[in-house]
Amino acid sequence: MISLSKPAKYVFIGKITLRSQLAYVVDFLIRSVFLLLILYIFMQLWQTTFAGEGTATINGYTFKQMMWYLVFTESMVLATPSLSTRIEEEVKSGDVAFKLIRPVSFIAFHYAEYMSEVAIRYVINLILGSAIGLLLVGPLPVGIGLAWLPVMALGGFTVNFMLGMLVALSAFWVEETRGLEFVYNKILFTIGGMLMPLELFPESLQRIGHWLPFQTVVYFPARTAVGMHLGEISHALAIQWLWVILIGAMVWLLYRKGVRKLNVNGG
Amino acid sequence: MLMADDKLHKGHAGISEHDQPGKLKRLLRFTAASWRLNLAGAMEFRFSFLLTVGSMIVNNIVWIIFWGMYFKRFPVLNGWTLQDVMMMWAAASGGFGIMSVFFGNATRLANLIATGQLDVYLAQPKPVLLNVLISRMSVSAIGDLLFAIFIFVGFGDVSPVGIVKFTAALLISGMIFIFFCVIAGCLSFWLGNTDGLSFQLFNALLVFATYPTAIFKGFGRLVLFTVIPAGFISSMPVSFIRELDLPFLYGALGMTALLCAGGILLFYRGLRRYTSGNMMGLRR
Repeated sequence: MISLSKPAKYVFIGKITLRSQLAYVVDFLIRSVFLLLILYIFMQLWQTTFAGEGTATINGYTFKQMMWYLVFTESMVLATPSLSTRIEEEVKSGDVAFKLIRPVSFIAFHYAEYMSEVAIRYVINLILGSAIGLLLVGPLPVGIGLAWLPVMALGGFTVNFMLGMLVALSAFWVEETRGLEFVYNKILFTIGGMLMPLELFPESLQRIGHWLPFQTVVYFPARTAVGMHLGEISHALAIQWLWVILIGAMVWLLYRKGVRKLNVNGG
Repeated sequence: MLMADDKLHKGHAGISEHDQPGKLKRLLRFTAASWRLNLAGAMEFRFSFLLTVGSMIVNNIVWIIFWGMYFKRFPVLNGWTLQDVMMMWAAASGGFGIMSVFFGNATRLANLIATGQLDVYLAQPKPVLLNVLISRMSVSAIGDLLFAIFIFVGFGDVSPVGIVKFTAALLISGMIFIFFCVIAGCLSFWLGNTDGLSFQLFNALLVFATYPTAIFKGFGRLVLFTVIPAGFISSMPVSFIRELDLPFLYGALGMTALLCAGGILLFYRGLRRYTSGNMMGLRR
């Protein structure tokens, strides 16, 4: 990998992306109506479920925690841009040739761009989601977990980037990668715990979920924020970064293999 | 393209309509020909077609998994069972599929109006609204339609009565989708470019139609049976397919008729206010 030595340039790439994203804040806010809609529906669903169960907690989650869990997962998922669309376009249009000859690492460039884009979208979603959460169910009891949310979210987005990159890099071999990304996102919805905490899954599925990297993307950060024990947090962080290293290595290998195979027409 | 009725036309070179098929028959032939051409266009890129249809089925399966896990943990949701939720998904995705496959421009109406793209339809000797609606087919929605059928076969009552009921539910659901979107799109005639607003309205209908009506109470429930009539779609499994609730059926039929009449009326009223741009358009 080339030119990873000067982190300053990646900070600048991040800053530029941040600025261009700030120009679209209003547009992004309008699209956030969906967040409101989905949180309202899930509130109704869990309210009915809790009433049906007649208990204060379901698998350790109170109604309030369940709702805030969804605020955190939905805010994260709705903040993620599509890496496949970006890289597929670059490959198809030939723009990738310009990216490859720059004195910056291709992967690190995309990471800097992705993270700064995600940062602004996530903050907006969190503000909006929290406003909705406060309005619908009231404040979340503030615990130590909430302080760990930024760290967990950083790791979660990094794993998400790495997994997304694995899918997106297949554009070096095949033409259509968006279908694959679509399937990946759906995995995140279910086994990744976006729609429902892993604790509510059937026993066997829970066990499978704990052995896969998908839980580290949204389940870990959301679970941390709504109240994970301090001991669990360090364990979760270790698992998260182990996956970052593992999938990161896979991305690196795939990139090295792919870039040799790539044929660019036009540009 | 050679049409089946070309031979018939050869003998009547003049403008006389004597011995020509009736007006309705000609409209039906025109509609069928449009659908056939749309499908042929979509099938041109075979791999892309299969991928798009497949990913839409995967998308829907995710919800089936979610509800499957939910009902494994909580067997009944306010009187609704897993089977009811499955049939609700069949009714909603089937209705959405009918709209997007056969009347694919329904969700793009606001954009067509705002950008002056109706010109090309106005110049053709065919009913404008019908012509606009049928001239696009969403490939991915074929997956939704197929999904609805799979779900019905897997979870529904596949007896003659069951099939008739399910078909009726799909038709009502489809009509609600089409004419709700037409009305939402027509806002562009009066309010300028309402692309975003119209899409959000359609999205609200779609999202609400895929959650059990039983979870909504009070004001939310009222909205679902009036302003955003998703309740008439999502209640189908419980109030029509499982057991026939006559007041519900009358309500659903009434709402469908209202949306249908309202949509057509609004479109042609709005068309009088329509101003085109200088965009050049061409259709074969």
